[in-house]
Amino acid sequence: MQEIEIQEIEKKKEASTYFKKVIERLKKDKLAMVSLFFLILIFLFVIVGPIVYRVDPNQIKLNEVLQPPSRLHPLGTDENGRDELARLMYGGRISLLISFAVTFITGLIGAFIGIFAAYKKGFVDLTLMRINEIMMTIPEFPILVVAAKIRIVPSSILKLIIILVIFGWVGIARIVRGEALSVVEEQYVEAAKAIGASDMRIIFKHILPNTFHILIVWSTLRLGGVILSEASLSFFGLGVQPPTASWGNMLINAQTYIWNAQWLVFIPGFMIFITVLLFNFVGDGLRNAMDPKFFR
Amino acid sequence: MKQYITRRILILIPELFAITFIAFIFYSLMGDPFAELRANPFINQSYVQYLEKAYGFDKPVIVRYFFWLSQILRGNFGISAVTGEKVIDLIKRAMPITLSINIFTFTFSLVVGVIIGFFTALRQRSFIDNFFTVLSYIGLAMPTFWFALMLMILFSVKFHWLPPGGFMTPGMENAPFFARFLDRLKYIVMPFIVLGFGGLTGWVRYTRSSVLEMLKKDYVRTARAKGLPESVVLRKHVFRNSLNPIVTLFFLSFPGFFSGSAIVEQIFSIPGMGSLVIGAVMNNDYMVAMASLVFYSTVLVLSLLIADIAYVFLDPRVKFS
Repeated sequence: MQEIEIQEIEKKKEASTYFKKVIERLKKDKLAMVSLFFLILIFLFVIVGPIVYRVDPNQIKLNEVLQPPSRLHPLGTDENGRDELARLMYGGRISLLISFAVTFITGLIGAFIGIFAAYKKGFVDLTLMRINEIMMTIPEFPILVVAAKIRIVPSSILKLIIILVIFGWVGIARIVRGEALSVVEEQYVEAAKAIGASDMRIIFKHILPNTFHILIVWSTLRLGGVILSEASLSFFGLGVQPPTASWGNMLINAQTYIWNAQWLVFIPGFMIFITVLLFNFVGDGLRNAMDPKFFR
Repeated sequence: MKQYITRRILILIPELFAITFIAFIFYSLMGDPFAELRANPFINQSYVQYLEKAYGFDKPVIVRYFFWLSQILRGNFGISAVTGEKVIDLIKRAMPITLSINIFTFTFSLVVGVIIGFFTALRQRSFIDNFFTVLSYIGLAMPTFWFALMLMILFSVKFHWLPPGGFMTPGMENAPFFARFLDRLKYIVMPFIVLGFGGLTGWVRYTRSSVLEMLKKDYVRTARAKGLPESVVLRKHVFRNSLNPIVTLFFLSFPGFFSGSAIVEQIFSIPGMGSLVIGAVMNNDYMVAMASLVFYSTVLVLSLLIADIAYVFLDPRVKFS
């Protein structure tokens, strides 16, 4: 019993110095730090922005449609005379909210399935991985187009999140399972089993924390990926439904106006592009910091 | 080896069965394919009922699935509920268009991407390497849709150089070959840039990291230590081995070849496979949608199979299991 505790304490100590080292290494990565700084600016823009810039994003003014950027409307107006800057802020909230929700839920489910498969081995592992394989061979795109037409849940945002989670857990479950396969062989897992810890306790308290570094890197990179998916799903009618703005549906709506209102195309697309780019930079920085092998 | 491949091929049958079954149930939620016909006052309602019966729509979805399956196995893909054309004809028309764009783009991005990837790995941290690293980050983060629209704004709206979409200038069908070719080219430039850019940066990234991996291997050091000329080391030890994952990835990306990028096809109004599927789903034309799904998933599972087999062939250390 005591020995197990000592092992646990040592493990924790190791973990805390490990994360300290990671942060130290991350701080030296200029690109990642600069990206993080700009990401924070974007967060401030969408979260604090609407508090400072008090314009209703959904107010339709038919006498001010498709106006180019001016003093009254810093980023112009869209086809319904709605203020583009306000919509960009509120749209960013929705896009980032979806991105975080999807990544969090996908990560949780994927990690749980991956660990569960690795921990239970045998039949459970085989079944879960077979399901995983079938999910990978289901052509995603035609299914998504059909899903766009079916009313599963009343809210389009919820539907989007569900769909992205259903198709998203496959990858991370595989990655986590690969890592967990070696973790379940560790002595402390065996010891926990010996003292009669429940399966769930072992999974959440012993195995999950040891696959956590993978999850963090995956999540950071995935956050950007979800924003891109939201945009492409909007294209197939599966996105956030109007009048609620999201960066994705703002961009998609703008395609009709490439002849006379190019700023409507450029602005939301640029926000998506830059946010995804920054997430990827931070994610890569984290990966390098967590795994010194990547330092070449 | 033979046993392994046979087993893998046999697994494909239940796999395809499962995929089509799930998709069929899912597609049945799509809506009534005869809604438009029913609403049309000029069409005899008994005809609609006849169609419903012919397609098995008066029976539960499970029965309908097996009915459909037996037709598919006999090579009968059915008739489009919207245009009344044979589904196989629709696919025959859309496929060459998608292929003509994809073969061109795919080959270009693969060949050029692998070459650039190889050389940037050898000159790590050089200007050219940094340039392509930045480019591949941009390629990863750029929404396809946005990229396409920005090109359209630049080439079609601002400069009027290229047509904003379509596949052929009307009236060019019977033009002499060369004129037709030039006409095609104009329409293909932007889809080519959009698809090619994503593909190219991807291949550069894969090849670069694969080559870097190989350069660290012990046998590369040994080869250098025993005095082999650098060119031989690179060609025989590094380049050949670094191609293994590339070949696997090549087969994995193969399905995209036939399906076409739906987004790009839609934006540039190219009547290829991607547009066909979207159109079919929008019109509840489930015969067309299911046929393209069958086609697509068959290509997908076969590519996965070939990728697995190629992997074993290329790397003798991998054991069959």
